[in-house]
Amino acid sequence: MSFSNKIDEWIKEAETRPESALTIVKLIAKRLRELTGRNEELLAENIALQNGTLVEEYQKRIAHLEYQLDLLKRRFGTDESVLTELPMDSTETSTLSLLVYNAQGRVLRIEINPDVQTLGRITDEMINDSEQPRLLAVQSNEEVLLLFTSGRVSTHALSSIPTVDSGGAWSWEGAALPDEPRAGELLACITPLSRLPLSDFFLQVSRRGCVKKTMTSVAQSILANHYLGKSALQKSDQPFDVTLCQKKDLFAFVTFEGHLIGLDVDGLSYSAEERIRLTSSDYVVGSFMTHSNESMLFVTQTGKVIHRESHSLELSKSPLAKGQALISASRLEQGIRFIGAASVRDEDQIAVLDATGSLNVYLTEAITGAGSIAAGGLILSIGVIQAEGGKRANP
Amino acid sequence: MTFRVGIDFGTSNSGVAVYDGQRVKLLPIDPKNVLPEVVKTILYITRDYRCSIGQEAVETYYRDNVNRQRRYVKQWAGEIDVRGADMHYVRDIYVYVDELKPGRLLQYLKTALRKESYTGTHIFERYYTVGDLAKTYLSLLKHRAEGILGEPIHAVTLGRPVKFSESLEQDHKAEETLRQSAYEAGFKEVDFELEPVAAALDYEQSITKPQNVVIFDFGGGTLDIAVIRLGDPRNRKVYASGGVDIAGSDFDRAIIEKRMLPHFGYGRVKHHPEILEMIHAIPDWMALPELGTPINRNTLAKAIHAGMAPVQLKALEGLIFNDLAFTFYNRVEAGKIDLSSAGATIISLEDKNISLWELYTRHQFETDIQHYLIDVEKVVLDTITESGLEPAEINAVVKTGGSSNIPLFTEMLTRIFGAEKVKGSNTFSSVVAGLAIKAFNHSPLVE
Repeated sequence: MSFSNKIDEWIKEAETRPESALTIVKLIAKRLRELTGRNEELLAENIALQNGTLVEEYQKRIAHLEYQLDLLKRRFGTDESVLTELPMDSTETSTLSLLVYNAQGRVLRIEINPDVQTLGRITDEMINDSEQPRLLAVQSNEEVLLLFTSGRVSTHALSSIPTVDSGGAWSWEGAALPDEPRAGELLACITPLSRLPLSDFFLQVSRRGCVKKTMTSVAQSILANHYLGKSALQKSDQPFDVTLCQKKDLFAFVTFEGHLIGLDVDGLSYSAEERIRLTSSDYVVGSFMTHSNESMLFVTQTGKVIHRESHSLELSKSPLAKGQALISASRLEQGIRFIGAASVRDEDQIAVLDATGSLNVYLTEAITGAGSIAAGGLILSIGVIQAEGGKRANP
Repeated sequence: MTFRVGIDFGTSNSGVAVYDGQRVKLLPIDPKNVLPEVVKTILYITRDYRCSIGQEAVETYYRDNVNRQRRYVKQWAGEIDVRGADMHYVRDIYVYVDELKPGRLLQYLKTALRKESYTGTHIFERYYTVGDLAKTYLSLLKHRAEGILGEPIHAVTLGRPVKFSESLEQDHKAEETLRQSAYEAGFKEVDFELEPVAAALDYEQSITKPQNVVIFDFGGGTLDIAVIRLGDPRNRKVYASGGVDIAGSDFDRAIIEKRMLPHFGYGRVKHHPEILEMIHAIPDWMALPELGTPINRNTLAKAIHAGMAPVQLKALEGLIFNDLAFTFYNRVEAGKIDLSSAGATIISLEDKNISLWELYTRHQFETDIQHYLIDVEKVVLDTITESGLEPAEINAVVKTGGSSNIPLFTEMLTRIFGAEKVKGSNTFSSVVAGLAIKAFNHSPLVE
């Protein structure tokens, strides 16, 4: 049946039942609106095809997919044909490791025993170049990304980093050095990379609260050139953390003086942008992705724990916000300062490194219930050990 | 305590009810459905032979099937003896089987009962006869009803159309198959009541004096008509009954044939029998899912590559190879239902290269089903004639079943009997309510 015949039939309906005319007009108008939008998209795509930008975009996407495949192959340590045969629960064979790393690029990899509370002790000086050691719990079959303060990056399979005995005493000299920082640079952070194929962006935050996102579609170029950038506006500033995220995620960071900023990842800029107004003595000490089924945990130097539901996070819209204050001004004057923050569930564990070098593990439920962590000295750093063996997004 | 229930085993929807002598209770047999008292007559059987019915079956089907992966393997199906004048050889026959297929969705189980040509189907390694399918559905229905009542059910009154089939032999066979299925489902006592008679009993609850009533039960599978004297329980009488194999599923088929096929290449593809065969199979809900073979995919791919109606054939490919047939039929049925209250509706399906949009008006629908109107009117008039009554002697015409809401048929009844006599009833529950009353009395309700 031709289209004009159809129109004749619609007209007949309108003539038979005049009240149908309005319905028909409404339905056609709605369709017209849809088609106009679709036509515009097609025209734009056509223009992009004609001037070649879309071809380039597709080439980039193909290269990105090839890289992701390569990454998966490396993660499973196998070739493509075997990869398709792999059972979905193949990661069950992996174990969980805790990385303790310092700014000099030294990494201690400790295999986590869930039944042991005291993991061991670092006998060396804990703070070098004014930077405290940091903690990260990851799967043993992970690929990790090392970000240096110069903006340089390098990737390493975790399996290439030797483990140290749990329960022992360790020195930084005996720690692995997967990639020695070059002259003038320090190791800023380590982040797991295996979720790269499922992520939309790298999200960086600097010590002074500058935030920048970079599309993971250009990951191959970043990793091939070993350069992600500093995400800093001022020369004195330096990167603090990088994490993988998706469009709909919510990102939060907390500062030394207890200011919390929540950001909607989708609304963030691709260029570095200062998102918090900091005093000269303040800087970022913790950052994390927050999820509705998790809560936020903030820890002070003295071990005081502040526990908040994730829905209490206020999203900051203005570029230079002050953020939510976690403690009152009087407490701040008393010298209370924060050392870390994380998004957690009750069943997770928290690894705590204190100034005496002791590394202990606590159940989140226990420390949120007690409201504090009983450490041997000032707390330097915390890390989350997820209950599911580190398989949740954004550990 | 054991219960006696009424079960309306309908072509599209079913229901279960009990009567306590005072009031009828419709059981919320499908809590996931919009109307929990109505359960879709749909059965889903998984590869490991777990069965579900109603909305649960639909949800499981969608979850497991739509846009799933397929892997075809060639399986030996049998052999054919080829005999000629001076030769005889045996030829092996192979079929392509999708070994990743997670389950089979079956609907129109009641229609299958009356089809002489349809005796059953293979579901993975097992062969299910029509009776097995009905038994499986009824046993799940019984199990759910017992869960709600908290007591075992031992007896059932099942509804049946006036005519399962025009052929007396087939009609008898269909009833016996259904009876046997009910016994196998665990009912100790099984009896039947004509669906329009059951609907009449429900209507009788609302009248105070004797009336001559025409029951116009127009559902998903059949049209059943009965002319009954109601109002005095001791003096009920069926003057005449009639029926015809025309109902909702035929209207869906008419819409698909007349309006939907051009979206899948009809009229554009010529001289290509394999593709035309696929297009002509679209209205057949049993045939369409079977078309997803590698040979057909290859045929379509070649035609698309050659530029033969590529948009339409891509849509056909999407429909066949993404298990969208069920969604498609549902959209068509929803459009048809819309037209009972609106002058125009949209039948649309946007998925996997299908961009179907059809503005469909009541005028178009009535044109498409006009030939059915003639048949339906004839059956109504024949039944009235058989009853020995004149239309003027009829006090009320009670409509029940989803298709009875189609304005074209309401207008026909109004034309014959007068607007004041044509009355609506509860579309989905009047039959099952009457069956429950019959089950409670467990004796013939009418002469």
